Amino acid sequence: MKKPTIIENTIKIPSSQEYLPDVDSFLEGILRGYGIEESLIADIAISVTEMVNNGIIHGNKSDINKEVAVSILYKNSVLEITIIDQGEGFNPNGIENPIDDRNLLREVGRGIFIVNSLMDDVRFDVQYSKGTRVILSKHL
Amino acid sequence: MKLSSSEKNGVAILEPKGKIMGGPDATILHDKLHEFIENGIRKVVIDMGQVEWMNSTGLGILISGLTTLRNNQGELKLANVTGKIQSLLTITKLITVFEAFDSVEDAVKSFKA
Repeated sequence: MKKPTIIENTIKIPSSQEYLPDVDSFLEGILRGYGIEESLIADIAISVTEMVNNGIIHGNKSDINKEVAVSILYKNSVLEITIIDQGEGFNPNGIENPIDDRNLLREVGRGIFIVNSLMDDVRFDVQYSKGTRVILSKHL
Repeated sequence: MKLSSSEKNGVAILEPKGKIMGGPDATILHDKLHEFIENGIRKVVIDMGQVEWMNSTGLGILISGLTTLRNNQGELKLANVTGKIQSLLTITKLITVFEAFDSVEDAVKSFKA
């Protein structure tokens, strides 16, 4: 199994969910170093693993030769985490409302809704054929 | 995530520990739930007390177990739901879908009613 690549505050993983614990360990280690409280770390880890899952499954279509990169920046009390995949891009606005009664029993489709609830700002930069960049922000 | 299971009064009890974020750990929970169903077990309690957090993958597994059990005249109930999981269930309105109890014992007893 290929190993993740870590350079300073960035981790790059092949497109397999087997690497999610590596992303989580890397992320939580850095956030603890910043002195962020555990409950917030959990919210951020939930959000980042959601977006990495999206990058692996919907972006890179689980192509093991493509990578998902996660970069962490903490400046002026704002934490900014960028997740980049190498997929075809997708329309984040084309997702049904998961809390509509008709969708409550659906097994999928809650990820972006949860991230929007837990983070202060979520920006999508979709470049078709070049991948999707998602920037998650949290004021600390 | 680690997973242990037991049985009490005909009710299967699953106890996941750690984080449920997708990948192999999530598959273990999904497969165990469906193994119960295939073996004719229709009453399942998931003890959430040792789950640190889960993302939408974990919620999807709970929904999958619940709907499969209900389609087979069974039921899935939750016990010891912690603050972080409670908050996720509230955000996603799934709190209105699952029956949750303060203890495994209460959840097991509720099947008799």
